[in-house]
Amino acid sequence: MNHQRLIILLLLIAYLFSPSLFTWIISPNGVWYRPYIFWMGLVLVTFIFQWRRKKPQNLE
Amino acid sequence: MTFDFSQVALIGISYLLLLFGIAYITERGWIPERITTHPVTYIFSLGIFASAWAFYGVVDLAFQFGYGALAYYLGTGALFLFAPVALAPLAELARRHQVHSLADLLVFRYHSNAVGALTTLCMLLGILPLMALQIQAIADTMHILVVSGSGNPSLTVADNGLTFKDVMALCYCAILALFTILFGSNRDQHRGLITAMAFESLLKVCAMFAVGMVSVFGVFHGIDGLNEWLADHPENLALLHTPIQDGSSHTLLLVFVATAVTMPHIFHLGLAENPLMRNSRTVTWAFPLFLLFMALPIFPILWAGSELAVPLDPQYFTLGVPILFNSPALTIFAFIGGLSAATGAMIIITLALATMVMNHWLLPSLRLAARNDLYRQLLWLRRILIAAIFFGGYLFYWVLNNRYSLTDLAFAAFIETLQFLPGTFAIVFWSPGNRRGMIAGLSVGTVIWFFGLLLPIITGMKVLHIPFSEFYIPVGNEYWNSITLFSLGLNTAIFIAVSLITEQSEEEHYSADLCAADELSHPVRQALDVHSAAEFKDRLAKPLGKVTASREVDHALKQLDLSNNERRPYALRRLRDQLEGNLSALMGIHVASEIMDSHLPYKVADVRETLDINLIENRLAQYQNHLTGMAAELNNLRLYHRKTLQELPMAVCSLGPDTEILMWNHAMAGLTHTPSEQVTGSYLEDIAEPWRTLLTDFSKSREMHYYRREIELEGHPHWISLHKATIEGPITEGVYDQVMMLEDVTETQLLEQELVHSERLASVGRLAAGVAHEIGNPITGIACLAQNLRYDSDNPEVLETAEQILSQTDRVTRIVQSLVGFSHTGHTAKSEFQAVILRDCAHEAISLLSLQKDKQQVQFINEIPKNAIVAGDTQRMIQVFINLLSNARDASPENGRVLLASNEDEYSIDITVTDEGSGIPPDIQDRILEPFFTTKEPGEGTGLGLAMVYSIVEDHGGLLDIVSPVDTQRNRGAQFIVKLPRHVDSLVDI
Repeated sequence: MNHQRLIILLLLIAYLFSPSLFTWIISPNGVWYRPYIFWMGLVLVTFIFQWRRKKPQNLE
Repeated sequence: MTFDFSQVALIGISYLLLLFGIAYITERGWIPERITTHPVTYIFSLGIFASAWAFYGVVDLAFQFGYGALAYYLGTGALFLFAPVALAPLAELARRHQVHSLADLLVFRYHSNAVGALTTLCMLLGILPLMALQIQAIADTMHILVVSGSGNPSLTVADNGLTFKDVMALCYCAILALFTILFGSNRDQHRGLITAMAFESLLKVCAMFAVGMVSVFGVFHGIDGLNEWLADHPENLALLHTPIQDGSSHTLLLVFVATAVTMPHIFHLGLAENPLMRNSRTVTWAFPLFLLFMALPIFPILWAGSELAVPLDPQYFTLGVPILFNSPALTIFAFIGGLSAATGAMIIITLALATMVMNHWLLPSLRLAARNDLYRQLLWLRRILIAAIFFGGYLFYWVLNNRYSLTDLAFAAFIETLQFLPGTFAIVFWSPGNRRGMIAGLSVGTVIWFFGLLLPIITGMKVLHIPFSEFYIPVGNEYWNSITLFSLGLNTAIFIAVSLITEQSEEEHYSADLCAADELSHPVRQALDVHSAAEFKDRLAKPLGKVTASREVDHALKQLDLSNNERRPYALRRLRDQLEGNLSALMGIHVASEIMDSHLPYKVADVRETLDINLIENRLAQYQNHLTGMAAELNNLRLYHRKTLQELPMAVCSLGPDTEILMWNHAMAGLTHTPSEQVTGSYLEDIAEPWRTLLTDFSKSREMHYYRREIELEGHPHWISLHKATIEGPITEGVYDQVMMLEDVTETQLLEQELVHSERLASVGRLAAGVAHEIGNPITGIACLAQNLRYDSDNPEVLETAEQILSQTDRVTRIVQSLVGFSHTGHTAKSEFQAVILRDCAHEAISLLSLQKDKQQVQFINEIPKNAIVAGDTQRMIQVFINLLSNARDASPENGRVLLASNEDEYSIDITVTDEGSGIPPDIQDRILEPFFTTKEPGEGTGLGLAMVYSIVEDHGGLLDIVSPVDTQRNRGAQFIVKLPRHVDSLVDI
């Protein structure tokens, strides 16, 4: 499970760079709901990602 | 549009009735299980994350921070997006160790009750503003609804004393507390509560969305209208971006990321109450989607509020917009949505805090009277605590007196719960963190927060004077950003520094290893000095009372699917762990582990550091779907090897150093007629005979092989060969497990015996054929002469002698015939056997022997009972007795005693012939059954007697055994044991 540390590191980096990302997403040139579209996209990607993994990740 | 007080009160109470009605009917099973256990229900129940602040205050946050407000949703959403990595390890720990609150989890990880007590204190302090926020939202919205009757909703600011809306809020709180006590304090009613919370979330997201739709399509007449309006009012768009630049949104994100784990109500529903792992796939996308729906209407509501010029703070625009839009239905819907958000959060916060206070403050210091009903005491304690927490929250709200916005209060609460982040993070991801570091860091962070935010909120102070100096530090809500970064930074730094400087205790180190996500823990097998489930009840009766102890043990046994007379050490260890888990759910992890440690302690095992193979197996079996990559490959390899051993067509078992059975394969189960589940985890001493003696002897023996050990199974002899090897323990050198292989060689043994016997028979047969022919003629001559003698004489003595001679020659003839018969296999078919009364046979043999006056006289004692009846041939049985008794007589001293006795069981009769002679030397014991082997003087014996006995007994399906010496003290005596099958029909007759 060592990859968890890597993911935590990735999250930290994402957190550090989030202002730049945020600035890009909410750039005043776009429509006001652009962040929501981005958010929806992320939810969709996660959904597809989880959908494609076939084995159930149950502990019980 | 008018609402009077009674209508508002009716709406509030109706809503509560509906909410708790749903909880009630769920508990009664009236709602189908597929709804209550559906992942969607679970996702919605997590929605209590969005409290009244998310319904009202977040619009104010959007007003102040523009897009920064989204951080509230994005932070938590991101954490759930990465749930399998970020939350699953915590949820798994909570599930495995029956942890029900963050404080429990921290106590488990840091192995210190001080951590639990401090966490509870900090949590209480931190949550007070959040409780006050919910109450303030309820009070304000009720007030707005009532005064909106005049067509102009407004909010009176800070009144002194107990105003009307304060009384309304107090009443609502009292009713809510009553409902929570009635429905929430019982630990068995979780499903109902979750369903009710899911309903609550559904209601609020619908309400929020409805207000958003009305804002866009009602107020702005569609998206285009909104865009036009924004183009006309560019300052609103600019407002979205400006605050982002100052970096505060960054801090906001940090604050809100932590809430998903550290907020007690979210932990309660997200990690402790709900089977997160069962839904971990769905939750990763579904919860962020839920949050998206909650977040989407925020900006339209804000703008609609501005457009309609709602005469309220932006924080109440969600209610203000429908009022000004003149839609009573939507107004009520929005009001209920807000009420619902506040209610749900308050109920779960109170339940979570009550559990924490009880487990970490009260139970460790209180001594509950164990003799009385423990559950009742705990229930009442919990009820009192729930009421006290509601009252405390209300008191705090009243003291604050509406001086602060919902956002201010939310910040105060969130920033304090953020202080748990370092300690919580270290649970799974940083095992060197220790309790001293945790306590020091949390204390410093909380003190900074207390003086920087909480105290200024209560007292209204603006600057903090540093004692003995001229420094004044500005404090209060305006500086939340700096206070957050400073308190959390210092908290983390101190936590790391102190943890690195100080040492972990041994127990803490063990717990840290258990919690570490990348550590494949190797559970060490510990020994319990309890030997039965009943003993558990006795031991626990002292701390828990007899009834409670019995109930808890029975419950745990049922959960584990074990029986009440369970004695296996492995099962008892599992029972102990299950009990500890159940008790910690009841009374907290600290009290539970204290009870278990003092009444059911793991004793220091004789053999330390032994891997608990059974537990590892069990755990791997549970985890196998969870393993990926190399671990999955290794597990497949393990399963393959395990299967190989299990299916091996040889009986194999392995033992720990303390003779606990670790493995028992299928062939072993078949051989011993004992299923693996019944013995795995038992001590060797606890298995059934005759295996217990055989295996225990072999395990203790220094010999690595036992050849052909005879055991008796269901009345039949079996021969087993045993082989063993030692396996060095995986973690400790010099400690050895054993692996044993058993081989059933009964068939080989029988074949060999048969072979030897055939050879004997062959030699006897060859002899007999010759002898019979040679003896036949002289015997016929003797018989003729004896008959002549009988006719020639009238002397009674002579006549008797002649009779005896005739009788003897008759016998000789028969014997010779039977000798010939031996040489032909299957001479006497068993079906021709008749009932033979052994006592009579023995009696006849004795009378015959007593005629031999020239031999030494011994006393034959016939104690064979009359009912000793076997299936056989009478003549041949008499022959057996004659041979055995004559041998016994020859071996006995003058006037010695020869005892005939018998034993019987269900299947057979054992006849023993015991003499008082010198016994048979061990070196010739194996040979005396061979034909022509004799120890007598030449001419005295032929060496055929015992061979014949053996042959006859074998023909009867019996066994011949020899014990010598019988009298071990004087080293004298020999005993022949003839085991013959019973005559079945006569058994029935008797």
